[in-house]
Amino acid sequence: MKFSDQISLSFHNLMLHKIRSVLTSLGIIFGVGSVISMLSISQGAKEQALASIEAMGIDKIIVSSRKPPMEGKDTSNASATTQTYGLTLADLQHIRQMENVKRVTVARNTRQKIMKGITLLELTLIGVDPAFLKDSNSNLIQGRWLAPGDYLMKAPNCVVGRNVKRKLFNLGEQNIIGSRITVENHVYNVVGVIENNHGTNILGIGKPDDMIIIPMTTSQAKYGNRSSTVSTGTLQVEEVEYDTFIVTVEDTFYIDYTSKRIAAYLDKTHGARRDWEKLVPYDLLLQKEKTQNIFTIVMASIAGISLLVGGIGIMNIMLANVYERRKEIGTRRALGAKKNDIIIQFLLETIFLTFLGGAIGVGMGIGIAEVVARYAGMPVAFSVWFILLALVISAAIGILFGTYPAWKAAQQNPIDVLRAE
Amino acid sequence: MPDIPVAKYALSMENLLKTYHAGEFDVPVLKGINLHVNRGEFLGIMGSSGSGKSTLLNILGLLDKPTGGTYLLDGQRVETMDDAMLTELRNIKIGFIFQAFNLFPHLTVEENIEVPMVYAGVAKKIRKKIARENAERVKLAHRLDHRPTQLSGGEMQRVAIARSLVNKPTFLLADEPTGNLDEKTGDEIMELFHELHRQGVTIVMVTHNPTYEQHYDRVIYLRNGQVGKEIDVKNGKITEFEVKQ
Repeated sequence: MKFSDQISLSFHNLMLHKIRSVLTSLGIIFGVGSVISMLSISQGAKEQALASIEAMGIDKIIVSSRKPPMEGKDTSNASATTQTYGLTLADLQHIRQMENVKRVTVARNTRQKIMKGITLLELTLIGVDPAFLKDSNSNLIQGRWLAPGDYLMKAPNCVVGRNVKRKLFNLGEQNIIGSRITVENHVYNVVGVIENNHGTNILGIGKPDDMIIIPMTTSQAKYGNRSSTVSTGTLQVEEVEYDTFIVTVEDTFYIDYTSKRIAAYLDKTHGARRDWEKLVPYDLLLQKEKTQNIFTIVMASIAGISLLVGGIGIMNIMLANVYERRKEIGTRRALGAKKNDIIIQFLLETIFLTFLGGAIGVGMGIGIAEVVARYAGMPVAFSVWFILLALVISAAIGILFGTYPAWKAAQQNPIDVLRAE
Repeated sequence: MPDIPVAKYALSMENLLKTYHAGEFDVPVLKGINLHVNRGEFLGIMGSSGSGKSTLLNILGLLDKPTGGTYLLDGQRVETMDDAMLTELRNIKIGFIFQAFNLFPHLTVEENIEVPMVYAGVAKKIRKKIARENAERVKLAHRLDHRPTQLSGGEMQRVAIARSLVNKPTFLLADEPTGNLDEKTGDEIMELFHELHRQGVTIVMVTHNPTYEQHYDRVIYLRNGQVGKEIDVKNGKITEFEVKQ
């Protein structure tokens, strides 16, 4: 028997019972549908998470000052305390000359209150090095970045994040280049606007979109070598030299080593004070991938169970089908169908069923994922590989669960069924 | 072994035995059948139930294997063949006709007639042509696109007969072909067999209906798993055989 005849025979048989075929495939339809939608949603979440981690830069080690606990001192009676903590110039110089360190970009929060009228805005005035634009993964969208001249002249120029523009200026003002911003007593000229599309939150200083950025030299000239903050109530002064070092390494292969060396150095010099912390996006990435893999395995198991149930359902129906059609099978055997012809006929029917179920399931899965994306606002990502995988798995289930009924069909003895009337 | 010229007979059986095993007991059903069917012969096999008729039919149709003796189909010994080879022989050497017609209800008349050719691997175009020719032979050319459910019983059996002819088998094996038909339609079907016989088709018909005796060239009566009586219809010669108990 020709294979093309086999295919058209099996297809023809399925088409005789369209409703039954679809009902039989329901298990596979829902199984594959859930596989596709879960994969799309988890892939979307994964890509989003990875993108935001990657946006921080996988060749970066971020070290930041952290306010240490008060070390058990009783401050209730003190009218004034000064707490000095965090990263210092000595730390900076040491880290800069470590091997595998390409550059260290520093940033310092001047801890100035930024007001609009009497409203305190959640914006920060940050002094930075020239490489900050690149190292914070931000883009210039208007004007220019801080120039060498600004650093040299300690110029009162600033570049602002896009939220700053939104919060400080009126809606009508599209071009704010040349505008002025007053922070406490100091006036700054806006020379550029930046945006950060990855929502990067830099350890110690926050989001570039919320920053008014000035040259480090200007910051030091206007606010001294130490930025300090004064709390209300009891007079409490905090002094911090640097808030954040963005360390860029030469070779990410050695990032773990470099990160450990920095930690060892800071442990030694800062001792038990623990007034610093460290974040390695590369490590986060690895962790994230690990948890994502576990998540994927769990989802795959759930999907596997539903596909298994679907497959057993199909096997059940096909066995009933074989019993129902034993007269047809006997007649075919008498007329010249070999056992293999019967096996192929029933196996193909099962594979068509599961493949059909898989195809409908893929459509349903994409539909569900789209609905989730639209109404739950979750990111989804589709891949041709998911669809191919789903279809291959469907066909494989057809083979797995169709073989036994097909074999059973071929074992029907034509003598037993031909005269049974 | 007697010296039998291979080409002479469509099929021949020598001392054919069939024993079923029921638990510890051996139940002999065929106890030494000797049967030679000439090419172009119309043979009737009769016998009451329990005479071994069905068993002989199954063996003749290569659906079952004998436990002893020889069976030559078109000169080929078939007792030792495996299932795949027997299936192939069934397909091309034997044209089955059943009491219940056994048509595929979802196929058209034309597609039903094509089925044995499908299993023989005949190309679709040729299948269609041969199916039409044989539909004409059984006077059903006008029904090619109908489904079996739209046909009368006699017409269904005609479709089955057309189907049995398509691979030009060595013989037609008809199992009570008029059993499900009324008398008049049954006569028409027998008339059709008679017509095919005149065209040179070899036919072996198993039946318990004695009224069609005049159609056959020869009738054998099975008794207790052996050939008990043979009637040569043309010259009326009756041969009785001794039946061992």
